[in-house]
This record gives sequence, structure tokens and C-alpha cells, in this order.
Amino acid sequence: MSAPLNTILRSDEFSCPSCVVKIEKALKALPGVAEAKVHFNTGRIEVAHDPAAAPVEALVSAVKSAGYGASPAAF
Amino acid sequence: MTPPILAPLQNPATRRKWLTLTSGALIVLGLIALYGFGLRGLWAGAMLAAAFVAGSDIAWRAVQALRIRHFSIELLVTVAAIGALFIGEYWESAAVTFLFSLGAWLEARTLRQTRGALADLLKAAPETATVIRDGQPVEVPAASVQLGETVLVRAGSRIPVDGEVTEGNAAVSEAAITGEPIPAEKAPGSHVHAGTIAENGVLRIRATGIGSDTTLARIIRRVEEAQEERAPSQRMIERFAQWYTPAIMVLALGAWAVTQDLRLALTLLVVACPGALVISTPVSIVAGIGRAARSGILIKGGQHLENAGRIDMLALDKTGTLTEGKPSLVEVLPLAGTKRAELLHWAAIAESGSDHPLGRPIVAAGRAEGEIPTPEAVEELAGMGLVVRHAGREIAAGNRRLFDTLDITFDAAAEAALDGVLERGRTPIIVALDGQIAGILGLSDQPRASAAPAMARLREIGVSRIAMLTGDQPQPARAIAAELGIDEVHAGLMPEDKLALIRAFQADGRHVAMIGDGINDAPALAAADTSIAMGAAGSDVAIETADIALMADDLEKLPEAVAISRATLRNMRQNLAIALLTVVGLLAGVFSGDVHMASGMLIHQLSVLVVIANAMRLLRTPRRPGGGKGRPVPADGALAPATA
Repeated sequence: MSAPLNTILRSDEFSCPSCVVKIEKALKALPGVAEAKVHFNTGRIEVAHDPAAAPVEALVSAVKSAGYGASPAAF
Repeated sequence: MTPPILAPLQNPATRRKWLTLTSGALIVLGLIALYGFGLRGLWAGAMLAAAFVAGSDIAWRAVQALRIRHFSIELLVTVAAIGALFIGEYWESAAVTFLFSLGAWLEARTLRQTRGALADLLKAAPETATVIRDGQPVEVPAASVQLGETVLVRAGSRIPVDGEVTEGNAAVSEAAITGEPIPAEKAPGSHVHAGTIAENGVLRIRATGIGSDTTLARIIRRVEEAQEERAPSQRMIERFAQWYTPAIMVLALGAWAVTQDLRLALTLLVVACPGALVISTPVSIVAGIGRAARSGILIKGGQHLENAGRIDMLALDKTGTLTEGKPSLVEVLPLAGTKRAELLHWAAIAESGSDHPLGRPIVAAGRAEGEIPTPEAVEELAGMGLVVRHAGREIAAGNRRLFDTLDITFDAAAEAALDGVLERGRTPIIVALDGQIAGILGLSDQPRASAAPAMARLREIGVSRIAMLTGDQPQPARAIAAELGIDEVHAGLMPEDKLALIRAFQADGRHVAMIGDGINDAPALAAADTSIAMGAAGSDVAIETADIALMADDLEKLPEAVAISRATLRNMRQNLAIALLTVVGLLAGVFSGDVHMASGMLIHQLSVLVVIANAMRLLRTPRRPGGGKGRPVPADGALAPATA
């Protein structure tokens, strides 16, 4: 188990706040993700995860499978 | 594996765009077939294909959501579209899926633009930095610069870190941070912010803040937190939306059970997403706060925006807010046979024992007369002045209260000199040597160039009452107030008096904004409906604590902040009205039989787009009526240095 990491993803494809719960649930369903918070207004996705079990690419593809493109951001 | 030609379709947004376009083309084909050639079979086939193309993505997303036990809007649309196919309504099914996809695509595009103001800020952060390592310039990712390293910034490029200039001179455009279009001159010793641009010249900067520890990153974080904070009206809507969708679903089932009218039930499902309603407030807030951030105005959230939009009264601190906060010595009045140079010398020795802003020009004036030694003993009496001992003499310097406390009496000449200084609107510092009044110094603090036009503009936009709250004495306060067109002055106040006044204004039914420097104004700022800090780019405390932070030391940002808040509040109300009318209209239309699935989806998606388009109006730079920016010249020459 490696140290937990906070990663910020950004998406500019959100069109209806209903997607928030969907993406949060999709991220939390991943093993190694402790917490996921999606902000509709700004398109910012905050994820607390274990980078060994859930690498950043896995987070991006989980968001993609919910139907939205996202990419990691520095802040 | 996916063939390479289909690789771009892996991207959800691109895939959705192509599916929508294909579906639209099929619908057009079907319509031509039916109305141009009467080919009913081809029409049905084209519509079926269109519904399948657009619907596949919607259905896929509905299934993905179901797998994590989430009932999505996509599920409702999928059920409605499949239901329509079952009752033979191919056209309705195609139109519903096509319009849903088209709407979502357009909404995402336009929303990206309302979020655009922040994207500009994010882009202001450079990706790479040139650092000097082992004497050589090396290009590295901006986040990997180490604290204390020297960063090289060439003309025309963005500064990648917060830091202190060690070498070079340049005009630096700080528009990204402060919203100020005029570049600031930077020389060795100046502080520079990440995201600002060196317009000319080469700078070497010692890094003091990197990546997420820069002022730019802190502003971005605060802007985002502000945009994400829910306004009270938004919370109300979200509660409404929470029961609206399930209620409509139950209603659809009930309507089907009672009337056996499947089409009515499916239409209800289509309009069950209160799209325009849930988005009405957030889009206005994101656009309003983003627009403000572009001008260097940080509004700390929907709640504060709603409060600021209601402001009809402003209370201001004087020193450092309305004035530059850099007083200058304009009068030197020696008394009782003291010489001018002597008075300045002793006054400077006394004031060198404190770092009060009023003391600095006195120390500077004393130094001009000769060497100023450090006093042997210093006693500072808060709110009154100083008593210091040097070379066997006792020097007292301060206001009238100090001398009343020390029991030092004023003779007629001293009284007259003091009254004169006060009458001319200066702040007096009285100096006594060994219990004998030696003279009076008059200090004057220049009002900011932006103060008078800002006050005029605030009145223009309906902030009807403007009051100055100051700890200074009444005469100098009134002199500045008169020059700036402020008619209400409360002077000689202690911090708790300012607080009491703010409470009194509020008891009068006023929505009060208070702007101050945050130390002795702290209680009043906390009590005000909206607290405003100025020059926040240099102070993290101001960014953190104020409801509205003006990044630059520019009072003219104040009317702009109020105007943006009001426009946003108005915009939110318009959006709310549009959204509520749509919901009511759609429901009424469905039950009266005027609205069917396709038209229901069309109206729903149009209302969402109208709401977003309305919010986007906030991003335009507002025109200022009048535009007169001439600064009134003081009529009586009150600021001209006087000598005695």
C-alpha cells in the first residue's frame, strides 16, 4: 500500500448537474479510491486514491466510461 | 482492439458529436423521403436508424449508470425512446434522442465558455521555467523549481514562480492577478507574482513560491471554491429538483395506470429532468464570479454575491483605504523659542522608537537635518503617542490625549497653533520637551487618485449612503471627506465604535458593505453584510478573510464589484423565472395535450440553452455610462505643503 494521493482532474464537458453523482459513484467503485468529489460548476474532480491500486489513468478512464472526457491538472 | 480510424471516437465528446450529426442527417433523409417522395417505408427506416444512432450512446450511458445503481436522466430518455418505438412513434423516438444529444453537446460547449474566465487564469500559469543551475540556464517544468533557486525571465514571457527580483529591471503586466492594465515597474527587491508578464527587460528572480504555493494558484483555488459554493437559492432549487424528478416518474406511472395513455406517460418522462432549473443559478454564479476574477475582483461565493448585489450603503476606513496611507509632513510649527531644526531633531528621536505610519515622515524629516540617535528608553501609549528618554531629556510626541494624560498644559500660543493645524485638515503631532510644549507638526495623507471617481460612480449606481469611519480626528477626516464628496463622517472612533455604527446602520434597514485594512477594522468588517479588502494580491490574510477581495489597490474596482454582483443577482433571477415558467409550461402543455415527446424535448433543451446564453451575457465587459474619469482638483489648495 503506497501513500494516498490527492489528484485533480478537470473536465469541460459537464452539461447537467445529474452527472455529478454518476461520476462520483463511478470513481468510488474503483478499488483504491478513498474519496471522490465532483464539482459541477467548475468541472473539477478531486480524487483521494492509492496510486498503486488506482493510478491516475484508471481514474481518467473511469470518468470516460461514465461518458465524460477529463484530464489531470496541476491545481 | 479499436481500429485506428475509429480511435477519435474513443473520446466521449467527439463520439457524441458524430452520433448526433449522423442521427440528424438520417432524420432529414427520412423527412425528405416522406414529404418529397411519399416513401413511408424509407421514412420509418431512417427514423428507426436515427433513434438507434443517437439513442445507443444515451442507452449505453444509462446502463453504465445503472451498473453503479444510479438512476440517470439518460435512463428516462432511453425508456421514453424505446416506448415510443413500441407504440409506432418512430419520428418521436428519433426526435427525442437526437434533440437530447444535440442539446447536451451544445450545452457542454456553451458552458465551457461560461467557465472560460477561469480557464484564462489557469492558462496564465506557465508550464516551464528557466532556472540557473551550475551557472547555466536550464529549462525545467515550473513545478520542479526549488525554493531559493534563481529563475530567468526573458522579455515577453510569463513569470513562472512567485519571487523577489535579484537582478534586472522590467515593466511587468500584472493584469492576470490584479486586473490592472498598466504594467508595474519592477527592480531588484520588488516582488513578482507567477502568471504576470515581463513586457520588456530580463529579470532574475529568486523563487519564494512555486506551483500551488503561488498567489495565482491561491486565487484560482479561491475562485473555484467560490464558484462551487452553493448560493441559498441554489440549495432551494436542488431540494426542489430532488423530489421533482421522482415525482414526475410516479406521476407518469400513475397517469399510465389511470388513462392507459402510454404516450402521455412517456412524454412526462421526457420532461422529468428540470434541466434549466438546476442549472439556472450555478451558470449565473460561475459566469459572474469568473467575470469579476478577470478584473482582479475575487467574490468569495454565491452567498456573498447575493449579499453584495443588495448593498445600498458603504462604510469606509480612511487611512490606507481612501488615502494612500503614506502621510507626509506638511507643517512644522515650533513654539516657545524652539528652533525648527531642533523641533524636528527631537521629534524624530521620539518617533524612531515606533514604526507607526505617522512617525515615518517625521523621522525622515529629522534625518534631513542631521544624525538621529536611537533613544535610550521608549514607552508607547496605544492610541496616544510616545514618551522617550534620550541624553537626559524626556520627549513626548502624540495627540492631545497623551498630553492630558501627562498633565502637560497648553498655553494660548500652543492652543492657537493646534487649532490652526486641525482647521487646515491636518493630523497634528504635538511634541513636548521636558514637560514643555516645543511645537506642533501637521501631517497630511493624500487621498487616492481613484477615490473621488469611485465615490461618484458608487452613487451613480445607487449606493445612496457612503460613510467614513475613522480613528482619526474630525477635522482632517472632514477635509478629506469633503474633497471626495463624502458627506457622512464618523471620526475619533475606537474599533468597537466602528462595530456599533455598522450595527446601527443595519438596524436602519441598510445593507452595509465595509471596506477597511482589516486590523482595527476587523470587528466592523465581520459585522458588515459584505466585507471588502483591498490590495489583496500582497496579503493572503485579505484573500482568506474578506467576502470580496480587490487584488489591486484601486478603489474604482469597488463600483465594478458592486455592479457585477448586481448584474449577477439580476441574471440569476431571470434564469430562475425562465426555468420555472418552462417547468410549469411543459407540465401544463403535457396535460392539455399540446406538448408531445419531440416538442417537449425541444422546449426543454431550448430552455437550458436560453438560460446558459443569458448567463454568458455576464462575461461581456460592462460599458460605463458617462465615462468621465477626471479627478476633481482640490479647490482650496488644502494639500499644498505649507511652511511656518
